[in-house]
Amino acid sequence: MPIHEKSLIRPENLKTHDSLILDGVDVSGHWSTFIESRVVADYNEAIEDEIAALPGGEHIHRCWQCGSCTNSCTVNAINPDFNPRYWIYLIRMGMESELLRDKDIIWQCVSCNKCTYACPRDVFPEGVMKATSHWLELKGHTPKSPSMHFDEVFTEQIVKTGKIEESRTIRRFFQRTNQGLLQDWMLEMVKQLLRGLPIGLLTRMGLATFVAPRTSNWSRASAAMQEYIDEQHEKQEEALSLAQLVKAAQEDVAA
Amino acid sequence: MTTKDKYKKVAYYPGCALEGTGHAYNRSTKAIGKKLGLDLVEVKNWNCCGAMEVKNVDPKLQTYLSSRVMSVAANEMDMDVVMAPCNGCYHNLKKAEYDLKNDKESVEVVDRLSKKAGHKTYESGQVETIHALDWIKDAIGEDGLRERVKNSLSGIKVANYYGCMYTRPRHIFPEKDAGPGSESTSKPHFMDDLLAAAGAENVDFPLKTACCGGAHTLSDSDTSTKLVLNILKAAKLAGADVIATECPTCHTGLEMHQIRAEKRLGVKVEIKILYFTQLLGMALGLKPKKVGVHENISSSLSFLKERGLA
Repeated sequence: MPIHEKSLIRPENLKTHDSLILDGVDVSGHWSTFIESRVVADYNEAIEDEIAALPGGEHIHRCWQCGSCTNSCTVNAINPDFNPRYWIYLIRMGMESELLRDKDIIWQCVSCNKCTYACPRDVFPEGVMKATSHWLELKGHTPKSPSMHFDEVFTEQIVKTGKIEESRTIRRFFQRTNQGLLQDWMLEMVKQLLRGLPIGLLTRMGLATFVAPRTSNWSRASAAMQEYIDEQHEKQEEALSLAQLVKAAQEDVAA
Repeated sequence: MTTKDKYKKVAYYPGCALEGTGHAYNRSTKAIGKKLGLDLVEVKNWNCCGAMEVKNVDPKLQTYLSSRVMSVAANEMDMDVVMAPCNGCYHNLKKAEYDLKNDKESVEVVDRLSKKAGHKTYESGQVETIHALDWIKDAIGEDGLRERVKNSLSGIKVANYYGCMYTRPRHIFPEKDAGPGSESTSKPHFMDDLLAAAGAENVDFPLKTACCGGAHTLSDSDTSTKLVLNILKAAKLAGADVIATECPTCHTGLEMHQIRAEKRLGVKVEIKILYFTQLLGMALGLKPKKVGVHENISSSLSFLKERGLA
């Protein structure tokens, strides 16, 4: 039996009619279900190069569509719509509108690297997933994902201090994504932790919320990293022609 | 010098998590090091390795961060082995080592950033990065452990959970899958070996290297809860009393989502979660407090008392 990885027939494209007569032939009911064909007319051949220009996407051209990535994928096992093999195909074909149908789930890759482990062509699909979700955000197709917010909060803190202090990072992340910190399960967790009376740990974590742990003599490293990040952003904007995109949008608004 | 002697004194890189939520792992690692007569010298003025987040902003930035840790160990402390108990740190140092050996662009970026930051550039090959599992396995070994066990873990059924970052992707771990005696990336066994030497009964656990969703613990909690539930249920079905962990992100993830699953989905899976260093420490005769059992979120004290370890 063939592996049934993905159906290309969408439920909304299945057409049945309770009563329909075409050229004198009765085609009512399920026995003559029609499948509306998919029409793709808007190939965007630039996508592959743009994603290849983002970190992680460099090796997308190596893919020969064996499907090992999707087959091994952790997220695919809980959501069959999460399909790295299919997205790589769409990107390489330039089928933008098809790719955008899944734009809200691509960021959910958990970076477990099972795909990278399984890939016989060293495509590094995990990197391609990150590059693709990054591309969607840079192009304005999706707002920043919660995951990207978390990555940014985290990176900002490291660039600034050299170290991570967890409760500060968590607080900032919840703030930036407009979530309440006092989730029921978080409270339960704290309650259970307190049961063991880990006084040393609590003192240490408590102090850390006032005085962030930091790597000393970090300012030069910090400046160098910030300069590098800004430089990379500029390169990415150029690769994705974002300035032109903004200009076109401004002209649209003006007209 | 044999590996055994080489690992007697190593540079210790605890990393950020071990100073916060993973402090029990830090405490227990140091405690068994002391008990076994192994010398841990903390990396001076270390910085974060980049964890799982910085690479999503820029992978080479992460390579730089990890390389700085190795540079300090090699150039400022004259050490040739860095031991990182955290899977994230261990993985990132290994990845940086691989990139600096094989990717010219990474070498250039790291060199430029190191010079601007004012420290020596790390060159691949200067240090060997090992995990806490390699450390005990090679410096003490199963036979050495067997001789030193005071409270056998006999009768305790353990599911050994290794997570993602310890074995994947394969190419950054050239020493694994290298024939007899080496670690396997598909069926890792170092933790199984050590705990078996301490008397534990390892169950056949199919999800050893499954993902706990650690990268999205907070940003996509529903996915993480589902993934953790798979792991907890599989361990339970395999007959385990305890899941032994060797990564602070996995450990906290399992504890957090065990609670979240109960609160949000009404699914309660009763299973204990302990760091392998805590189990080993207690087997070597250390008290639960010495190995930080009271610093775990999920309580296992009554269970340990029942089994004669506390």
